[in-house]
Amino acid sequence: MAQQKDKDDFRSQVEDRLEHLFREDSLEATDERAGLVEHPLKGLKAVMLSIDWEITDSTMDSLLNEIKNVEFIYGEDKIILTFLQLLRSIGRYVKANKGRAHPEATRLINSVYESLERVALTEGMSRPEKEKMLLKEVSKFKKLKERVMLRKAEKQQPVASEGTPPPALAPESKEIRREETPVWKEAHEEPRPEGRFSEMSPHEAFAYALEEIKDVIRAEFRALRAEIKLWRESK
Amino acid sequence: MAIINLKKKEVQAKIVYYGPGRGGKTTNLDYIYKKFRSRIQTEMVTIKTHGDRTLFFDFLPIEIGRIKGYDIRIQLYTVPGQVKYESTRRLVLRGVDGIVFVADSLSVRRKENVLSLKSLAGNLASYKKSISEIPLVFQYNKRDLLNEGIPLLPVEWLEKDLNSKLKAPSFEASALKGPNVVETMKKIIIMTIESLRKDLT
Repeated sequence: MAQQKDKDDFRSQVEDRLEHLFREDSLEATDERAGLVEHPLKGLKAVMLSIDWEITDSTMDSLLNEIKNVEFIYGEDKIILTFLQLLRSIGRYVKANKGRAHPEATRLINSVYESLERVALTEGMSRPEKEKMLLKEVSKFKKLKERVMLRKAEKQQPVASEGTPPPALAPESKEIRREETPVWKEAHEEPRPEGRFSEMSPHEAFAYALEEIKDVIRAEFRALRAEIKLWRESK
Repeated sequence: MAIINLKKKEVQAKIVYYGPGRGGKTTNLDYIYKKFRSRIQTEMVTIKTHGDRTLFFDFLPIEIGRIKGYDIRIQLYTVPGQVKYESTRRLVLRGVDGIVFVADSLSVRRKENVLSLKSLAGNLASYKKSISEIPLVFQYNKRDLLNEGIPLLPVEWLEKDLNSKLKAPSFEASALKGPNVVETMKKIIIMTIESLRKDLT
């Protein structure tokens, strides 16, 4: 009886403490994405949110369809139309490459959308301000194109000695080519022999996990080196 | 295994958010950290890849404070969800006291949820722990996407696929927007501390 009472006391104290720590009364909601209930970008925003979670043919098709809808609404606004063209180009690239797309592509698609939303929704924003935001996104888009080309070139010529000149960039095209299938296929994606793990000592298991992490870090460095090379070339 | 220092009257429990990749484990911790940063007064540690995926784990310590004379600290961890990091997941599970299984409600992720739960059971077994005995809470995440016309698994299916034998508490949630994120965490903390309580007397 006393033990049960003690247990209930303990539980209620934990509950009270958690209630106090995590009460939601005075804190502002963190959902910064609400508030587009009747806006023309509502459909596009919903698709952007779903892309946040999952990139599939279906979500990317929805994106391309929504872009068409918004183009129809903003048919006279060249700035908005250019934003939409950017979204479409990146969307097509991501659709074609999905998980193998350059990691910057998904970031850029979000960034372009956020700028588009700001330009479309901010009352009183001047045309030069809008153009400035657009140019910023266009510049990011161009950089992404260069990185994608470079990565593709590196994949085709993976081992280059220090004396070898860097691979030539493909000439700029209006759109990123669909047949491109970069790059991120790393050796460590091959399945590991899981059965062996249970036979390993803790030290071996740790070393094994460490090796996995090293693989990923190597891949990260490869991407970084490619970006540094690009930056040096642009200087 | 929780660290219990009877002399100093300190208890440190480890809770791991487990589930398939892109399911929302890190987003759960992000939400808690961003919303309650001023109260929990600790830092979240996260190591991500170039593509914004969890590389090793995320870590968020929370000081619950003194209860029945014990200082109670909770450590929330996530595991990397991608299939290739199985050995890392196993390492993060070492010494775990409670689990939140974050299931992905997207219809296309049904198989991944089941495989991930099987991997959890296997990994716990390698530490001689049973999934049916450890404190466990299911969170069916991404329910907000239903309003956006995205096909989701009905909760009944998720329950049948994942929880029909375990009968653990479950929550429908949206880690991105917040509903039931805190409730899931409170539930697992209470269950975990209760399971450790016998060692404190």
